[in-house]
Amino acid sequence: MSGVRYYDIRHVQGQSTHIDIDNGVCESAASSFFDHAVIRALSRNGWGILTVDNFQEMGKGEIESLVSRAAAIASICSEDVSLAGPERGSRDVPPMGEDPRDVSLGEKTAILLDLEHSARIPGIINTRVNYIERFEKVVFQDSTGYENHYEICRSGFGIMAVAARNGTLQMGYERRHTIRGLNIRHQQDLAREAAGRAVSLLDARPARGGTMRAVLDPELAGVFAHEAVGHASEADLIQEGNSVLAGRIGEQIGSGVVTIIDDPSLYEFGFEPFDAEGSATGRTEIISRGILANYLHSRETLAAVGNGRAGHARAMAGEPPLVRMSNTFIEAGESTSDEILAECRNGILLKGSRGGQVDPGRGVFQFNAEYGYLIEKGECTTMVRDVSLSGEILKTLFSIRLCGNEVKMHQGYCGKGGQSVPVSDGAPHILLDHAVVGGSGDS
Amino acid sequence: MRWWAVVEILEDILKAGSRSAGEVEVYLVEGRSVSAELKRTVVSKSIGSRHVSLSIRTITSGRIGTSSTSNPADWRRCLEAAVASGKLATPQAWNGLPDPGPLGGVDLSYDPALDPQPAAARQMLEAMVEGASRHPVQVTAGSASMSVGSVTLVNSNGVRYSRNQSLVSASLEAIRENSTGYEFDTSCSCDFDPALIGERAGFLAASSVNGKDIPTGTYDVILSPLAAAQLISAVLVPALSGRNVHAGRSRLAGSLGMQVADTAISVYDDPLLPRGLGSTRWDAEGIPTRKIPFIQDGILGKFAYDLKTAYRYGAESTGSAVHSGSDGLPAIGHHNLVIEGPETDLMDEPGLYVQDVVGAHTANPLSGDFSVELTNPFRVRAGAYESPVRKAMLSGNVFDLLFRTTGLGRDRRTIGSLIIPSIRLKDQHIIGV
Repeated sequence: MSGVRYYDIRHVQGQSTHIDIDNGVCESAASSFFDHAVIRALSRNGWGILTVDNFQEMGKGEIESLVSRAAAIASICSEDVSLAGPERGSRDVPPMGEDPRDVSLGEKTAILLDLEHSARIPGIINTRVNYIERFEKVVFQDSTGYENHYEICRSGFGIMAVAARNGTLQMGYERRHTIRGLNIRHQQDLAREAAGRAVSLLDARPARGGTMRAVLDPELAGVFAHEAVGHASEADLIQEGNSVLAGRIGEQIGSGVVTIIDDPSLYEFGFEPFDAEGSATGRTEIISRGILANYLHSRETLAAVGNGRAGHARAMAGEPPLVRMSNTFIEAGESTSDEILAECRNGILLKGSRGGQVDPGRGVFQFNAEYGYLIEKGECTTMVRDVSLSGEILKTLFSIRLCGNEVKMHQGYCGKGGQSVPVSDGAPHILLDHAVVGGSGDS
Repeated sequence: MRWWAVVEILEDILKAGSRSAGEVEVYLVEGRSVSAELKRTVVSKSIGSRHVSLSIRTITSGRIGTSSTSNPADWRRCLEAAVASGKLATPQAWNGLPDPGPLGGVDLSYDPALDPQPAAARQMLEAMVEGASRHPVQVTAGSASMSVGSVTLVNSNGVRYSRNQSLVSASLEAIRENSTGYEFDTSCSCDFDPALIGERAGFLAASSVNGKDIPTGTYDVILSPLAAAQLISAVLVPALSGRNVHAGRSRLAGSLGMQVADTAISVYDDPLLPRGLGSTRWDAEGIPTRKIPFIQDGILGKFAYDLKTAYRYGAESTGSAVHSGSDGLPAIGHHNLVIEGPETDLMDEPGLYVQDVVGAHTANPLSGDFSVELTNPFRVRAGAYESPVRKAMLSGNVFDLLFRTTGLGRDRRTIGSLIIPSIRLKDQHIIGV
């Protein structure tokens, strides 16, 4: 393996189970099997990377040949790469309450059929439940002889209810995903909540677009932290010159009430015992009381850019690692929800999320609330639907006036570079001055 | 495992599967690819990949079971899981997998001369960088990839289909100050000029600098093919799925034969298009593909069906089954969705040109309502870009947009699985300052 300065291999094998219940019909309840590996070799020219299936069956000789081939294809590269560290280490995977593998596919299907049925309230014309369970066994090894491994099971469900009246359709949606074991029992209230919201949304008005005060609930404020700050702090983008946060460490970029963290070592849905490069994971304070403090890093970006710690490299099974968020949240402040509504006085309360997107180089982001309420004289009044917000990273953080005193986390998946990884986002309620709200209504 | 050994085991799976299930179908995808990535103007990564995926579907008395694996040698476990899965599925009306038909012919989406090599990927990156250098911008990132592979479908009724496919894609991102530009292209062969991709990304970044604010109000908007494809994919495409229609999840349910778009607009699937990225003579269940006119001159004519949905609701499969995920299930989709109409010059009259949108996936797929941030918006006049706009949102409803078109551009191009021109719209709600 001449010319190889370093190599590592991340091998992920496991089983995924997917159950789809649609309008009382079990459309599918199926398990699939996977075995993917990524071999990265660092040569004098840069990274050569191979991705292969069925690594389990390969012998020592084949592995050596894969490393050599990875190094050989790096001959087209021309980057002198340095790696920081390594800081090795691992956190235990927390125990599960009820191991999903101990419950038969048949029993899970029966529980989900009942859950889906609970959303059938008057006005609802379609209900659907999706369940996903993914068990992964991850083995990491590198050219120094270091090896580590873990096993983790992520599972959860989403429930959707569709309400219809006179050709108008609206939906309510709830999802819960976890690393703490089977979570589908006793969730009927959540199903009814999704259904109730779908029916209420039939009477909601489209929001009027414009600039106004907005209160974001913890789920939406978490998405805001993810889109407005998290992506732009990923140091691969900093290194490429594709983020408005480049060169601003130590600069006040937001109001003093704002502290934003990413922490893959937390026992939330984005938990990683160690990252995709075998680095120990831990807390990174991205923004500390309004001041840009750190970036999120891999070993390579830490060496090239500085400011922060490695341990934020993540990857889908069979894909090369990228700098990613994990569990991202705005830290709690001191205000109660009532104080925030009173302080807003006139504006809009926005709840739930269908996600968002950011252009980090331009510093502009967009994210979407499922629904909300007008706030008039400090009270929630008319329900509104389909409200998006957009903003500029370097301006919007100054408009956060208050942070609530209770953080809640919500689970989802984040896309980058064609890879989707499990994340959680969270925040307390927050009050924004000057929020740019998109909407075509006149309410 | 060698490739010919994989093909041999397909017959073993059919034989073993027929002992435990009424019908068996096996779908096998294999391929290899190379790609290379830019960090600024430096080639920083070279990636080689080999992949294989085997999916098994069994049907017994209308109960459909599925499973998949990345290890074809492990097919026995996969078959067992498919049969077990079928026992849990709700039984439904089922009239059998298709019989074989004369579906031979040259591969429609394949260049036999394409040989994925890292050096070729590097050349594409260099050409894009050169193209971008014609503008005063910095390249931030880029990628080039090439892949070749094959898809094989066999079933217990005697279907034995196989096709080769190839794909070449390249993209580049550039920045000037806080103004970004992105461009890409895809084809089944190396028949596009990467330098033009770089040139366009550079142009977009360079010419969006110093954008002016725009007052909130009503504007005529020209959506580029990319911007239009994002909104149509998020809302119109799911509404055309027969499954969503029958489940009550499509606003177009009950509108067959009615006008759902301006009379200038037609939307159809063209699976037999030579060199189309999704072109195939048979769908993921072995149904012969054909042109499906979803919307003809504004009138809704058809919804998309796979076999399962067609049998359940007494309809006919439109050959619209595609293998989209890794969970072993064919699902309703399309092959090459074409949006078509009389083409004209869209930039002669004043309007707001939109290159891309941020957040199209947050559109409400049921109601069609959306609000998105605009990327590279320009005021246009007399056939040319006049001035960049700094920041604005567009709010509206995708189903309503289809009634507000005032023309389709002459710039039809492939965006993912869509083939779509730019679209001019009247009276759109823009939120500026």
